[in-house]
Amino acid sequence: MTNAAATGTERTNIQIVSEDDVVRVEDLRLSFYTSLGVVRALNGVSFNIPRGKVLGVVGESGCGKSQTGLAIMQLTFGRIEEGRILFREFNTSEVIDITKLEKNGPEMRRIRGNHISMIFQEPMTSLNPCYTVGHQIEEAILLHQTRDKAEARRRTVDILRKVGMPNPERIADSYPHQLSGGMRQRAMIAMALSCNPTLLIADEPTTALDVTTEAQILDLMRDLQHEIGTSIMFITHNMGVVAQMCDEVAVMYLGRVIERAAVDDIFYDPKHPYTISLLRSIPRLGIARGQKLESIKGTVPDPYSTVPGCPFHPRCPAAIPGLCDTVMPEEIFIAGSQTHTVRCHLYT
Amino acid sequence: MINFIARRVVNMFFLLIVVSFVGFWIIQLPPGSILDVQIQRLRMQGGNIPESMIQALRDRYGVDDPFYIQYWKWVSRSLQGDFGTSFETDQKVAERIYNRLGFSVTLSVIALVFTWLVSIPIGVYSATHRYTWPDYIITFIQFLGLSIPGFLLALILLITASRLWDQPIGGLFSPQYADAPWSIAKVLDFLRHVWIAIVVLAIGATAGLTRVMRANLLDVLNMQYIQTARAKGLKESTVIWKHAVRNAIHPLVMALGTLLPALVVGETLIAIILSLPTIGPLYLDALRSQDMYLAGTILVMLSALLLIGNLLADLLLAWVDPRVRLE
Repeated sequence: MTNAAATGTERTNIQIVSEDDVVRVEDLRLSFYTSLGVVRALNGVSFNIPRGKVLGVVGESGCGKSQTGLAIMQLTFGRIEEGRILFREFNTSEVIDITKLEKNGPEMRRIRGNHISMIFQEPMTSLNPCYTVGHQIEEAILLHQTRDKAEARRRTVDILRKVGMPNPERIADSYPHQLSGGMRQRAMIAMALSCNPTLLIADEPTTALDVTTEAQILDLMRDLQHEIGTSIMFITHNMGVVAQMCDEVAVMYLGRVIERAAVDDIFYDPKHPYTISLLRSIPRLGIARGQKLESIKGTVPDPYSTVPGCPFHPRCPAAIPGLCDTVMPEEIFIAGSQTHTVRCHLYT
Repeated sequence: MINFIARRVVNMFFLLIVVSFVGFWIIQLPPGSILDVQIQRLRMQGGNIPESMIQALRDRYGVDDPFYIQYWKWVSRSLQGDFGTSFETDQKVAERIYNRLGFSVTLSVIALVFTWLVSIPIGVYSATHRYTWPDYIITFIQFLGLSIPGFLLALILLITASRLWDQPIGGLFSPQYADAPWSIAKVLDFLRHVWIAIVVLAIGATAGLTRVMRANLLDVLNMQYIQTARAKGLKESTVIWKHAVRNAIHPLVMALGTLLPALVVGETLIAIILSLPTIGPLYLDALRSQDMYLAGTILVMLSALLLIGNLLADLLLAWVDPRVRLE
């Protein structure tokens, strides 16, 4: 804040963190035009996902984490107003700006399901009830990898075996309603990984599952991620899952990334007041019985309005009057760190 | 599956017996009988009929028998293919019905196919182009189609067509084809006679089904698996026609079961207006003159159509949606 020029240079530094990123999202702005008004869902989201790493994207409902994932796939119904989504496939140097591609055009469809694939939150409804699981996986393989039906079938059974399905041939001929929620999510993962994607976007893949199944699915994703080398953008609101799965974390609030760091830094040295409160609101073992769990006071502001200054200031315990409610903080590096950034006036 | 069909057919048989019994009972409920109508007519013509002759007629027609005996006589013969004799014309009921029923079913099936062929694509277009001008225009026409009574539309079309070109009025065939064997020319002649009836029959049903298709597809398009299909990289047309329509088509398939008999009965008024010799007007006459064997047989035939239509719909639905298949 005191030195605008310095902040500016730091910002550019952030954007070329590494040549080894598979995706770099830069200043992404996304709006929904509804009959009630304009909802600004994303207000300048920037982050990068390094090759072979898992980035956790966390935040409350409505903070824009799912929309960021959908925007990378160009599957959002909102309009991308500004910003770039740079994507680089495996083993190529060619960088594609996804926002420049036609939404349902051939180039975008070539990327979808092939280089970037996605898993959704609801395993119960994310498979088409009218087709067998095998058919739905084959569909993606036939579209991107091979035209040979027998070969597609063989690969389908292979990938089903890989995701830990007992009797993969039988599962391939089953309809989704014949499988449990955990099995369906395995089938979804099989479908998403069937073309060895560069990036997997997992939008709360375990939220709808019970904890035992959740643990199995997370293990499976970790294993396959090591095996295939896919980068994962792991969208969740569960900090426990983040600790288990992720290498890096981006904390989002109201359509902005407000803190980014390696997973250990987020848990042991959180900087942003929002991240701190988020971590305090997790129930822990060893906490005194009867002690009230902390919650973040207030609620997320109405999406149709815009908050002046830092979007978190109305709920922030450390808000500085006259500063936080008027000036939007820039994203800056924490002193002495090359990877930990925060958007907060307390650190400028 | 064969087991399922066999069970359904047996059930259908028992259902038909119940329907025929209840139907027959209702038909003979009003006081009087076909005989009274005929005696009345003879008296009007000035004849003085002796009491003994009336009694002879009563015995011959068996109208004084209790209702269950009448029913038994009719059913036991029906099972042998003899549906009895129409009181009114002294013709065999089977003769009077078969031709007409055949034409009615043909008309209805053509109307049904027409309805499907039109309402599915229009419904899909309307849903995928929601809140655009074409959607508004389609919606407007649909409400028009729903709200214009069929008989009025039939009259308008008939008058317009006969003014503008040589539209034959009444009948199913031109005289030269009436007794000719079936040929392409005869089929074309048939269509020339009945197209108005088909259009009128289809329009009401089409308007309704298009709305249903649109609403259902809109629901399905919000489902997660549609997003999954898109995320796979499928073309939008594949997403719509392969993944969405198949899930949205259930009500249309189910409508098949009830639509067939509804169309057969629905054509009554239109057939009367267009003077088409189909089953509807015959049914109405039979009920009015208490020609009970005739009316009863038509009722049973219509019920059979309903049951067959439902069976077909169930089979089709099982083919479309694996979730309703019986293991």
